[in-house]
Amino acid sequence: MNFKGTLPTLILEVLIREASHGYRIAQEIKARSKGVLDFKEGTLYPALHKLENEGLVESYEGVEKGRPRRYYRITKPGKATLAKDRSQWLELSRAVTTILGEA
Amino acid sequence: MTALEIWLKQATKGVSRDSANQVRTEIQEHWKSSEEDALRGGASSEEASTLALKSLGDPKKANCEYRKVMLTSAEARILRTGNGEARAFCSVPAARWIFLVAAAAVLTGAAVFFVKGEVSLARLLLLGGIGMGFVAGAPFFSVYTPARSRIFRSVKWVWLVALYAFAFAPLGWGWFWLLVSCLWPVAWTEYTRMSIRRKLPISEWPKQLYL
Repeated sequence: MNFKGTLPTLILEVLIREASHGYRIAQEIKARSKGVLDFKEGTLYPALHKLENEGLVESYEGVEKGRPRRYYRITKPGKATLAKDRSQWLELSRAVTTILGEA
Repeated sequence: MTALEIWLKQATKGVSRDSANQVRTEIQEHWKSSEEDALRGGASSEEASTLALKSLGDPKKANCEYRKVMLTSAEARILRTGNGEARAFCSVPAARWIFLVAAAAVLTGAAVFFVKGEVSLARLLLLGGIGMGFVAGAPFFSVYTPARSRIFRSVKWVWLVALYAFAFAPLGWGWFWLLVSCLWPVAWTEYTRMSIRRKLPISEWPKQLYL
């Protein structure tokens, strides 16, 4: 399913639970959408870098199973952006559901 | 060259060396985890590699996305070499005063020409002197915060356009090409810096990005 434009919000939603690395973020999005949101993982990192440039997430070096990995965690402005995005999405979703329900 | 290396080469085309290294590290980590998951799922070694690579998608699309958010080679070069303003205004203490004295000299010239009755030339020198004083005074105003630097750059551009308009307006539209020729290198530098500002976290901005 095409969900262009919503990937940054989905990344922030995953990171609000716990800090994570790129691969786990991608798997989490796929798992939580029950496979509906199946995206090409090469586009995940540019989205993560954009969020980092905007100060919405920050990265740090971590280790998983003895391997160094770059972890990302959500920042305070990131949490505020997520809250705003979430309410806008719910409003949009309600409006579209209402219109589709009328048809 | 492995399939992953070919993917990485295409995905990092035109991206600066530091950014490309970062992309390589994170994609290799990602690919390894993806391959391990596929192996655990019962895939053969070859199938696992193919699946891991397929999940990354089109390298050209990834390259397009990376170039939007990471420094390109050209931008990295500008960042390394294009700090003339910073060197002039920030690094050499005497230069600050020289520019201020020059601005004062231009303003004095404006007063002299005004007294002599050459009003249009005096007006042009006044505008030039005010702008020079403003630009030269940047280190004294401490413009090195994003909000202040935005104001500084806006005023700088208003001044620059006004100065050129005053200088070229009496000559008519026939000289418009000269106005464009004079302004485009400055406009191009500003455009590139805007792009760099979007791609670098504020904490990593060098001083010239504020000016």
